[in-house]
Amino acid sequence: MILLYVALTFAAFVVLFPFIWMIITAFKQPGTEFSSQILPSKPTLENFKRVFTEFGFVRYFLNSTIVAVSSGVLATLLASLAAYAFTFKNFVFKEKMYGLIIASMMVPGLMYVVPQFAIINKLGWMNTYRAMIVPHLANVFGLFLLRQYMGTIPKSLIDAAKMDGANDLQIYGRIVIPLSLPIVATLFLLTFQFHWSNFLWQLIVTNKENLYTVPVGLAMFKQQHEELYTLKMAASAVSIVPISLIFVFAQRYFIEGITRGAVKE
Amino acid sequence: MRYVLALMILALILGCAKEATREGIVLKVWETYNSEERPVFLSLVEEFEKQHPGIKIEAVNIPFDGLEPKILTALATQTAPDIARVDVAFLPKLAIRGALYALDQFRVESIKSELRPVALSSCIVDGKTYGIPDQVNGLCLFYNKELFREAGLDPNKPPSSWDEFIDYAKKLTNKEKGVYGFGMKNSLWWTLPFIYSFGGDLLTPDNKHCALTSDEAIAGFQFKVDLYAKYRVEGGAWRSGGIRDDMGFQSQVYAMIFNGPWAVKGLERSGIDFGVALIPKGPKGYATNVGGNNMVVFSTSKHPKEAAQFLMFIASKDSQAKWANSLGQVPVNMLADGLIDFSRHPYLKIFMEQMKYAKPRPPIASYPEIENDVNPEMQAALDGKKSVREAMEAACKKVDAILQEEEALKAGLKKQAR
Repeated sequence: MILLYVALTFAAFVVLFPFIWMIITAFKQPGTEFSSQILPSKPTLENFKRVFTEFGFVRYFLNSTIVAVSSGVLATLLASLAAYAFTFKNFVFKEKMYGLIIASMMVPGLMYVVPQFAIINKLGWMNTYRAMIVPHLANVFGLFLLRQYMGTIPKSLIDAAKMDGANDLQIYGRIVIPLSLPIVATLFLLTFQFHWSNFLWQLIVTNKENLYTVPVGLAMFKQQHEELYTLKMAASAVSIVPISLIFVFAQRYFIEGITRGAVKE
Repeated sequence: MRYVLALMILALILGCAKEATREGIVLKVWETYNSEERPVFLSLVEEFEKQHPGIKIEAVNIPFDGLEPKILTALATQTAPDIARVDVAFLPKLAIRGALYALDQFRVESIKSELRPVALSSCIVDGKTYGIPDQVNGLCLFYNKELFREAGLDPNKPPSSWDEFIDYAKKLTNKEKGVYGFGMKNSLWWTLPFIYSFGGDLLTPDNKHCALTSDEAIAGFQFKVDLYAKYRVEGGAWRSGGIRDDMGFQSQVYAMIFNGPWAVKGLERSGIDFGVALIPKGPKGYATNVGGNNMVVFSTSKHPKEAAQFLMFIASKDSQAKWANSLGQVPVNMLADGLIDFSRHPYLKIFMEQMKYAKPRPPIASYPEIENDVNPEMQAALDGKKSVREAMEAACKKVDAILQEEEALKAGLKKQAR
């Protein structure tokens, strides 16, 4: 037992070490990030201050929040509506359409970059939040994930609701979504995280520094020849705060999800 | 939920706000200047706008690593800016694909004679000028004065020849303390100073074949390998998992490394007592490599003449004097040499001296691919898995194949153009 704890503690340390290093480096004086001392000799808040005053990270965080929250919410909403239709409704070519949509997951995401960019450009959406949000709203993986989960909801439950006169929107909002909440929360977290850390697309569709998102801003610290580690680590340390917070809140749903089906009434 | 909706509505409103249309000519510039260079660049932009009423410069700062994918995507959809600042190795790739204006038609001839030849040569592809250099640099030798003193060496007398270098490095190496005389990188570009100083070269003079198997090139690379394997004065900085050269120099593990002008500010901040010297002389004298950036005009630009004007302004004597004096960088314009205040930048003199012995890379489009193929072979030789000659022969085969591919591509593109 003790051995297990030692092993797990060691593993935890290995996993956490980059984070620890990030936080320590964020408090170091520039130029001393690779000195032999592990802890900063003169800890400073200067890095954090410069990140927000000189490097415009206030704006980058605002942009990232707008983009990640809107895409997370909209993508999850669309995926859940589609999953509802594919699970509980019948229409022509349903399974064929589903197969076709799922097949699109086989195309590597990078293949879409140029055509999507061409469309965004034709629409005149360059340098807008729309350009960063809209192209990724149709989330095939999300549809797959939610349909798999919704398939486990007993059909009799839906039929009972129908019997009581509930329409589709009511069934969706009152029964299906509350029952799928853990998986919906998971999907939101995944899409939020994807958009929060998406670099290439946000870089390509913006030609204005005041529209840059956090990952693009972070990339600015890696210059042609040198990397401004202390500043980069300060900005990175702040950038993981929203994700950690969301995870802490969403965790409740994960645990609920596990316990929900445990007892049969 | 209400906040989310509010945010989304805000997003739409902000997104819909149209840009106000401006009068006159607007030149869009994508640049990759760092946070110290940017203010100087913007002050030059301001000056240019003052001198040329009617021309506005719209400069966007792009992360260095993101520039290539951004430009390639923009080219595919014809949305490139008027001007971009690109690495010297990227220019030929853009040029042979017809993405750039040849600037010779816009009277750049007048400024060409003022520019440092090593910088200008990186802009010339197949006899045409596809850009104007805005920054040029090459590697020098950085050494730790404190470690020199500890080893009983004169900190004001850096090694001047490779023989002396080995002698110094042996004295500086103290394995008990974990100090090594030298730390180096494994990459073709970082190996070129060795190869050049032994009289070798990457390609044959006609740029058609690999020249790394020449006796001189092999001697140069053998010397680099020997520093690690034979003389044991190099700390293995090039190995994966090794302490990187520049980091080890900061933590006083390596007493000498190669580095460029860009490293000065960071080292000054870290408080290390260091000096800069010419890379030691080899059998064929002093030598170093060339890096830097060029400004180019994309062929989709509607105002190439004005764009060329801006490029020439940045490279002009006065702009470059200001650039060098503010940042301690080598001016690309040689007329600016006389206007530099060396008391503010003690190392700049050495950097400029070193550029006299610099040798530009061949202006081929596939230089990055060559690096990718040659580096693993060099690694094998450093690891002792292959002899230097075997490694160079294997590397040369790949380089020749890459060069043939480039020739075929060029021929294909020419046919297409017709």
